[in-house]
Amino acid sequence: MAAVIAGFGLLGVLVAIGGSLMLIVRGFTAAFRREGWDASVFRVPASAVLGGSLLAMVALEVGLLADDFSIAYIANNSASTTPLLYKLSSAWAALEGSLVLWGLVLGVFVFAVWAVMARSRGMDHLGAAALGVMGIVTLFFFALMATVSNPFEVCTATGGFGCAAESALPWSTVVTPAEGLGPNPLLQNHPLMAIHPPMLYVGYVGLTVPFAFAVGALLVKERGDAWLRRTRSWTRVAWMFLTAGIVLGGLWSYEVLGWGGYWAWDPVENASFAPWLVATAFLHSAAVQLRRGVLQAWNYILVIATFSLTILGTFLTRSGVIQSVHSFTQSPIGPALLWFLMFVMVGSLGLFAMRANLVSSAPRLDSLVSREGMFLINNLLLTVFAFVVVVGTLYPIVVEAITGDTVGVGRPFYDRMAVPLGFALVAAMALGPIVPYRAANLRVVWDRLRLPLQIALGAAALAVVVGQRNGWILVSILLGVLVVALAVHQLWDRAYRAAAKRETSTGSEMLRALRADPPYWGGQVGHIGVAVLVLGIALSSNLSDEGAFTLSPGESARFADHEITYVEPFSREKPNRTEIGAVVEVRRGGDLISTLEPRLNRYPTSTQSIASPAVDTGLRGDLYLSLASINETEVRIETFWFPFIWMVWAGGFLVALGAVYPAVARRSARERREPARV
Amino acid sequence: MSERLRRWIGAIVTIALAAVVVVGIAIGDPSEEDRVRSLGDRIKCPVCQGEPILDSPAETARAMMDIVAERVAAGESDEQIIDYFTERYGDGILLDPPVAGRTLLLWVLPFVALAAGVVLILGRRRKHEPEADR
Repeated sequence: MAAVIAGFGLLGVLVAIGGSLMLIVRGFTAAFRREGWDASVFRVPASAVLGGSLLAMVALEVGLLADDFSIAYIANNSASTTPLLYKLSSAWAALEGSLVLWGLVLGVFVFAVWAVMARSRGMDHLGAAALGVMGIVTLFFFALMATVSNPFEVCTATGGFGCAAESALPWSTVVTPAEGLGPNPLLQNHPLMAIHPPMLYVGYVGLTVPFAFAVGALLVKERGDAWLRRTRSWTRVAWMFLTAGIVLGGLWSYEVLGWGGYWAWDPVENASFAPWLVATAFLHSAAVQLRRGVLQAWNYILVIATFSLTILGTFLTRSGVIQSVHSFTQSPIGPALLWFLMFVMVGSLGLFAMRANLVSSAPRLDSLVSREGMFLINNLLLTVFAFVVVVGTLYPIVVEAITGDTVGVGRPFYDRMAVPLGFALVAAMALGPIVPYRAANLRVVWDRLRLPLQIALGAAALAVVVGQRNGWILVSILLGVLVVALAVHQLWDRAYRAAAKRETSTGSEMLRALRADPPYWGGQVGHIGVAVLVLGIALSSNLSDEGAFTLSPGESARFADHEITYVEPFSREKPNRTEIGAVVEVRRGGDLISTLEPRLNRYPTSTQSIASPAVDTGLRGDLYLSLASINETEVRIETFWFPFIWMVWAGGFLVALGAVYPAVARRSARERREPARV
Repeated sequence: MSERLRRWIGAIVTIALAAVVVVGIAIGDPSEEDRVRSLGDRIKCPVCQGEPILDSPAETARAMMDIVAERVAAGESDEQIIDYFTERYGDGILLDPPVAGRTLLLWVLPFVALAAGVVLILGRRRKHEPEADR
C-alpha cells in the first residue's frame, strides 16, 4: 500500500520512456518517407511523453504534500513541518527531483512543437526529424530517472529521521521513516527558490528545440534557413527564461547568502552563464543569416555548442566533479551525463561534417565595416567570453585530474577577463545597430553617432565635474548613456524624417517604427537593459561601503549616512525552524526610515545557523544588514551599503523583456489585421 | 550661423568633453581604501572555501585584512604586499592564479581564442577581394 505514489511516479517515467521510443521510431521513419503520413502520427508519442512526465511530476508533488516518507527522496528532502511552498519546491531542490522537472519541461516542449507542427497539413520532414531528435534527448533523461537517478525509490531502512537505504522496486518491503530530514536549510530560506529553478530549466531545456531542428535539417538534407526561421521564436522564448532565471538566481544569492553579493563566478553560475552567452551569440548571428544569407555554417556550430554547453553544465553541477574529480564516479549519473555529452558532440558535429555540402559556400561579406561586420565582432566577443567561462570552470578539474594538485580559479581571474570583454561588448552593442548593412558609409555612421556621443561624453564629463574619478564608473557611464542615447535618437530621428515626409506627427511615426521592426526594437530594449545592468554593477560595486558593529541593546552606530540602532533581540518558534534575530531601527537625517530584522535561522536537522539578511531597498541604494552573531548582551552586525543596486535587477529583467517584445508586437499586429472572431 | 561654423563648434564641444573625461580618469588615483579592497579580493581566506578575505567573516580573514590595511597605510606597493602573503602561505593563497607554471595556460588560452577569431574574421574579408576584381 505504502508505495502507491511511488508506483504512479514510476509508471509516469515508464510511459514517457515508451513515448520517447515511439517518437524516435516514428520521427525518423517519417523523416525519410516520401508519402503516406502527416503530423497526426506523432499525436500518441507526444501525448505519452507529456502525460508521462506530468504524471511523474504530480506523483512527486502529491507525495511531498502528503508527507509520504516511504519515498526515499521525500524522506531526505522534505519534512512534515516544512511550509507548503517549500514542500512544493523540494520537488526540484535535489538531484533526482530536479530531473523530474527537467523531464516535465521537455515533455511540454515536445508536445508544443508537435502541436505547432500539426497546425499545418502535409508532410513536414524537417519537423519529423526534429521530433525524432527531441525523442532521443527525452529518452536519455527519462532513462536516467528509471535507472541511476530514480526519484521514486522506496525506503527500505531508516534511523528514524530520513531514509538510510532505498530500493528501486516499488514492491520491496517498505519502511516508512517517522519524519523526513527537511530541505537543505539554504533552500527553504527564500520564496525565490520556488521560481528560480523552473525558469532556468525552461530556458535550458527550451534550447533543445533549435538544436533538434538544426540536427533535423542536416539529417533530412534540407538546405536553407527553414530550421532557423521555424525556431526563431522558440529560441527567443528559451533565451528569455534563461536570462530571467539567471537574474533571479543572482537575486536569490543576494537575499539569502548574506555576503551581499549576487554573482561569485562559482561553477553553478557559470554552468548557466556560458550557454547564455553562446545562445546570445546565436540569436544575433541567426538574425544575420535570415537577413543576408551569411554565417550558415557558423549558426550550426553555435546551436550545437549551445546545446552541448547545457549538457556540460548539467554534468558539472550534477556529478560532484566540481568538489573533486574523484567524487564524480561515486554516483553513476556523472559518467552517464558525460557519455551523453560525448554522444551529442560527436554525433552532431560528425553529422555536420558529413553534410558540409548542404551549407552553401556563404556569400562573402562585402565589407567588415557593416552591420554584418559588427555582428561578427559581437559573436567573437560573446564566444570568447563563453570560452573564458568554460576554461575557468574546467581548468581546475583538468589540472587535478592530471597532476592531482588543486589550483584555484576564482573571481579575480574572471573579473580581469570579463570587465574588458564586457566593455567591448557594450561598445559594440552601442555602435552595431546604427551601422548599415552591406558596406557602411562612415559619414552616415558619424551623423547617427554624433549627438548621442556628445550626450554620453557630457554625462561622463558631468560625473567628473561633480567629483567622480573612478575609471570603471566613468567608462560605464559613457558607454551606458551612449547605448541608451543612440537607441532613443535613432528612433526619434527616423520618426522625425518620416513625419516630415508623410505629414504626420513624430509621435505616431515613432509608434509605427516600433511596430514595423519588432525584433530590432526588442533587441534595442535588451541593449538598454544591458546598459542599465552595467551601470548598476559599476556603481554598486565601486561605491559600496561596508562595516561591522558590535552593539548592546539601545546602542547606535553610524554607517554610510545612516544611524543604526539595536533595539532588542527577538526569538520566534516556527514549525520548521527557530528564528533568532535583532530588531534594528534605521534612521537617516533623524527620521526613522525602516525597522529591520536581520536574523539567524536554526533548523533542527542542521547544526549550522543560516544567516538571513535584512535589506532596506531604496532608489539611492540598499542598506543590507547581516547578523554575524548574537548573545544575551550584544549583537554583531555586518552592514553593507550598495548604491543603485536596483539597477542590476532592473537591467537584467529589461534584457529578458527585450525578447518578449517581438512576440507581443507580432500578436498585436495579427489582431489588428484580423479582428477577433467570436 | 553657417553650417560650417556649427560643425566646428560641435567638433570642439565633443573634443572638450572627451578631454574632461580622459583627464578625470587619468588623475583618478585609486584611494587607499580601494587598494585595500582590491587586494583583499585577491587573497584567499585560508580557513574558508575559496572565499576572498574581503568577504569572509572568519577571524583569520579579518586579521589578514587588518594586515593588508596596515601595509597599504605604510606605503607598501601592491606587489610587496602580495609577496608578503605568498612568502608565508605559498602561491595557493592567491585567488588569481599566477601567470606562470601550471596556470599559465589558463591566462594564455583566452588570448589564443581571441586571436584565432580575429584571424578567421579577417580571412573572410581578404578572400573576398580577388573575387571583386573579376
